[in-house]
Amino acid sequence: MRILFYFLPKLAVAAITMLGVSALVFLSLRMIPGGYADVLLGPFVTPEAREAIAVRYGLDQPLLIQYLNWLGALFQGDLGVSMVTRAPVLDEFLRRAPVTLELALLALIVALAGGLPLGILAGIAPPDHRGGLLARLVGALGASVPDFVLGSLLIFVFSVWSLWLRVGGYVGPIEDPVGNLRVMLLPALTLSLFGIALVLRTTRDAVLRVMTEGHITTALARGERPIDIVRLHVLRNAAIPVVTVVTTYFGFLLGGAVVVEVLFSIPGIGFFIFSGLENRDYAIVQAGVLIAAAVFITINMLADLAYALIDPRVGSGRH
Amino acid sequence: MKTTTQQGLLGLAFAAGLGVMAGLPGAALASDDTIIWGKPGEITGFDAHVAGTVTSWQMYQMVYETLLTTDDAMALQPGLAESWEQTSPTSYVFRIRPGATFSNGRPVVAADVIGSLMRIKNPETASYWTAQLGTIAKIEAPDDHTVTVELEAPHTAFLAALAHITAAILPIKELEDGSFDPTSQLMGSGPFMVAEHKQDESWTLAKNPHYWRKDAAAPGTLSAPIIPDDSARMAALRDGRIDFTTFSNPDVALMLSRDSNIEVLPQQTTNYYRMDVNAKSEASAFHDKRVRQAFNLALDRDAINNLVFAGSTTVDYPVPAAFGKSACQNAPTYALSREDRLAKAKALLAEAGTTAPEITIMATSADPVYGRIAQVAQQSVAEAGFVADIVQPPMAEYLDKVFTKGDFDVSLSWLAGYTDPTMVIAWWNPTFAVWNQSFQEDVPALDTALEEVKSLPDGEIRDAKLVEICDLIDDGANLLALVSRTDYIAYRADKIEVKAANRSGSSNTFQFIYDFKSLD
Repeated sequence: MRILFYFLPKLAVAAITMLGVSALVFLSLRMIPGGYADVLLGPFVTPEAREAIAVRYGLDQPLLIQYLNWLGALFQGDLGVSMVTRAPVLDEFLRRAPVTLELALLALIVALAGGLPLGILAGIAPPDHRGGLLARLVGALGASVPDFVLGSLLIFVFSVWSLWLRVGGYVGPIEDPVGNLRVMLLPALTLSLFGIALVLRTTRDAVLRVMTEGHITTALARGERPIDIVRLHVLRNAAIPVVTVVTTYFGFLLGGAVVVEVLFSIPGIGFFIFSGLENRDYAIVQAGVLIAAAVFITINMLADLAYALIDPRVGSGRH
Repeated sequence: MKTTTQQGLLGLAFAAGLGVMAGLPGAALASDDTIIWGKPGEITGFDAHVAGTVTSWQMYQMVYETLLTTDDAMALQPGLAESWEQTSPTSYVFRIRPGATFSNGRPVVAADVIGSLMRIKNPETASYWTAQLGTIAKIEAPDDHTVTVELEAPHTAFLAALAHITAAILPIKELEDGSFDPTSQLMGSGPFMVAEHKQDESWTLAKNPHYWRKDAAAPGTLSAPIIPDDSARMAALRDGRIDFTTFSNPDVALMLSRDSNIEVLPQQTTNYYRMDVNAKSEASAFHDKRVRQAFNLALDRDAINNLVFAGSTTVDYPVPAAFGKSACQNAPTYALSREDRLAKAKALLAEAGTTAPEITIMATSADPVYGRIAQVAQQSVAEAGFVADIVQPPMAEYLDKVFTKGDFDVSLSWLAGYTDPTMVIAWWNPTFAVWNQSFQEDVPALDTALEEVKSLPDGEIRDAKLVEICDLIDDGANLLALVSRTDYIAYRADKIEVKAANRSGSSNTFQFIYDFKSLD
């Protein structure tokens, strides 16, 4: 019952947030210059042609009616149809979700594989240690180099010299596992750069904090081997903030792969949303933003739920 | 135990993800009888009578056919019409090719031709091509394989307009009975039919078993992954994931030509890069014709050719250079030396009372070439005193600002030159090309000349009229031709055999796709 009372208001807030997001994305799209008629007809837009296209796609109706129609359809599970293909956008999102999921998972793996060891090294190494310096350099680069810069650089290098990896031309992992890896590694690396820095810095901070605690001094005094101290005492205690950050980062990856997918022609959700935006294909962008918002809200609500389950004081009014 | 359960769940989730992905075929459904086209962009719509973008036209050309087509010399050739005859200045008779058949097996008949042309003329279709067809007074079918057309007035470019893919012949019977929707499907009588389409990802086309060219070498499958990035297409071509593609950037073509197994075919077109100058907006310095003329004179077209295109293209004119006409070459913009043009430009600016007009050049981000042209233009007009900024909005924003709102100074794009010298210059008449009204000044004398030239047959009289038109266009300095646009077809010579026209007038880059052959 405590959980229910704690959770219901959050559910209501989430519903209101989703409604707000839906209105915001709907209005924003109609405020940006250009419409589907411009894209379809190219430079040959006459007022009559524009009107005919508007009537064909229901864009001639008042904005409020368009919004309510869209909202009504949403409640029935209909995310709308693409103006380019007249096909349901939900089908396209479902088809593309695994591609984005795979990219996000690979980027996460790379971020963890790079960020964790470097973060630990930066945390335990003396200030003038080469490894520590390298870790700080990687952390600074990862936090400051935008993904489109690294992506463009990698595309240039690997399109001139293949070096086994491939640029563009997605193939599924079951159809061709090796081919899939060759195509996905570069975008995953690009997407993970920020993640490496994030994990590295979070791990380093957590390790530094743990290293100053009394039980580490005690372990040292007991004569435990440094590797055991790191493994048994430092990592375990430093893991909580790292896990929290990684969870949030994964949510960011799922919703933030647009630039990388476009750069590397990866047919995921991000690429689809970008094309929808370029074509002013409203249904695609509206659905994409709404799905991204739903993912974030759901992740946050699950985290809230987890806190309530773990800590009996949460939601009980006792703090 | 808890850890094991979590690992198990994670494993299950990952396996489920992979399972779903197993249903995702790759970009290419490769087989021995497949060739792979790295398509630079997705279509913007399915309706062949409506879409005004080359990326759409190229896909339509795989599926649809037109009554006529053209050869290297831009001469008309039979297409779906096996033959045609002009029986009077306004009358035409077309004989439809026996054996021409839609991909569903139904023969193409006169009703399909009539229905298609009437659909283009129907305002509800919103086809921009209606303007190029002239005014059809009467269209009839004496029998299933004959179509007669009566125009209200002579229109020399009528046949050339029929050779453009926007005049594609659709299956009208299926359209009328509802089994074919031209706004969401492609079905024609061309060499291929659509087997599968994944939006923004790939097309898979299967050979049309009913295609009338029985000797066509076309492969069983034409797969077309969409790869917008030039570098990604270049890499895909090098490692064999695609067999052919196109580029507009000569640098890429140059880089690829160093690979021994890659051939690059430059295809001359009647298309050219152009600048639209806003004569209508009072907020723009170009509202004053003298400033427009100064800008036009100050543009260094040779520098654009040399710096952006490595000298691989040519300076172009409102009447495209590819037609071999010299109508515009004596206009001051082209005839004077660079020094004389700059001196004249400065004098015009002084006369207009603005020696350093501030302007913005709009070059969409859709193609990197636009940005480079804009940079060279920015530098060349600075020599006359112009202070130019460059902005690069997305395509939809550019189209809205230029053709709807008229909210710009000068914008950069390109024009299709089509297959008759009078077709593209028709866009200089804003009462005809109404989409230009937001920025184009109406010059009645030019409108009249452009109307008159439409009815003149090719010859000296028409050439003289073209000179008159060029002078008026140069004087108005409202739409400026820059340099010719060359398409580069790059292909793997060790994997496929390619046939392509040296010149194309209708952006029909893959006119001979039915003769592309896999060497695997």
